[in-house]
Amino acid sequence: MSKLLEQIAVCTERGKVNKDAPYPPDMKGEDGVDELTARALADGVNPNDVLTQGLMVGMNRVGVKFSNNEVFVPDLLMAAKAMKVGMRQLTPHFESGAAQRKGAIVIGTVKGDLHDIGKNLVGMVMEGGGWEVIDLGVDTSAEQFLEAVEGHPGAAVALSALLTTTMANMEQIVKTIKEKITSTRVLVGGAPLTQEFCDKIGADAYAPDPQGALEYLEAAAS
Amino acid sequence: MRLKCLGCEALARMVYLCAAKSPHIVNVELFGLGLHNTPSNLRARLQERIDAATGQKYDAIVMAYGLCGQATEGLTAREIPLVIPRAHDCITLFLGGRERYKDQFENHPGTFWYALDYIERRDDSATVLSLGADAGVSIHEAYDGFVEKYGKENADYLMEAMGAWQEHYKRAAFIDMGIGDGTAVEKAAKKESKRRGWAFDRIEGDLVLVQRLLDGDWESDFLVLEPGQQIAMTYDDDVIGCHVSGEDGV
Repeated sequence: MSKLLEQIAVCTERGKVNKDAPYPPDMKGEDGVDELTARALADGVNPNDVLTQGLMVGMNRVGVKFSNNEVFVPDLLMAAKAMKVGMRQLTPHFESGAAQRKGAIVIGTVKGDLHDIGKNLVGMVMEGGGWEVIDLGVDTSAEQFLEAVEGHPGAAVALSALLTTTMANMEQIVKTIKEKITSTRVLVGGAPLTQEFCDKIGADAYAPDPQGALEYLEAAAS
Repeated sequence: MRLKCLGCEALARMVYLCAAKSPHIVNVELFGLGLHNTPSNLRARLQERIDAATGQKYDAIVMAYGLCGQATEGLTAREIPLVIPRAHDCITLFLGGRERYKDQFENHPGTFWYALDYIERRDDSATVLSLGADAGVSIHEAYDGFVEKYGKENADYLMEAMGAWQEHYKRAAFIDMGIGDGTAVEKAAKKESKRRGWAFDRIEGDLVLVQRLLDGDWESDFLVLEPGQQIAMTYDDDVIGCHVSGEDGV
């Protein structure tokens, strides 16, 4: 049983989506996340174990390697693609409560910023870490973030900015969210950001990469 | 005054014209667009040239640069003042002011900018104008490599995931500086806007900031660093400020 979950973890980490997938070449013809997840669920493996001991383990391994510059954006994207195929099969189990997420996080790029690859990578790693991700997309206002948090009480918020021009908007959004729903945890990230900037605008945490954002959430939740 | 101008080649014609019209003696040195791809390299190169101007009988060094994805943050003035416009990037210098850029940015955030020198001088390794990101042009060149490594379906997925930001762009804007023949660049911008279903705007540029930089008219809109001071980002409308190396405060 645990061997099957380890296989799911390996396929997730390596981005092996299904049997027909040509990538990675050394796993050609082997079952991928799709087949393995289906088999695990059919064999009666607890859906929550498929999530926490299979998909999440694989995503965590690739996330750590990405932080250490051992793998790069395409590798992370391939892992996420494989992870999503497994997540899709878990959807009914999330709805029934048989598989449970750790909490919710609302993500988006800040007002004026349309560059979302970083935010998307964070979303994928968060989802792969067992969190429900509410992705508001790009060019997101304080009001949109607030509305999403109201709809998902207790959710954390992660803001992304790629441009120095839009960093100033981040401060306004953090202030508004903190004023209206004081308990909301706000994370910030993006190429031009620093811990110093995070402290200055009153955000709770700065994460330099997706894994860092995930680790903050895990620590804050425990 | 004797001025040393260190400038980006995206502003080449503007800098040369304004240097020619300046009442001062100006020596111009331009740097390649490709340096933007690695801000730390650009910063190191600029600091090296700032250092090299020491003892060359200049009265000041003027930078035809903005914050440029923080490439200029941390640059330190040595024995003579270092002057830099309060600008996020070259779009401010093309448009002639922070307010005008802010107005454009707030009303048309998804704009792909075109300007003559930038287009004719860029090479494949150059960064996308005003984006602050390196995820643009290079992705298209990576496609064949992706197909080979990941297979066609996965390559299409990776392209979509990595190029998704382009879907949010809505406008191509050609900035006409009125120097040189920009017809071909304007035509290319129009063609690209049509292909992508974007709006097209032709915007009159304004040389005022670059001219003032080279004229020594630094009263406002510029940061004048005294020897030992360092460029720092301010995260507000001032864009940049300065602090003494190793000290806090702007």
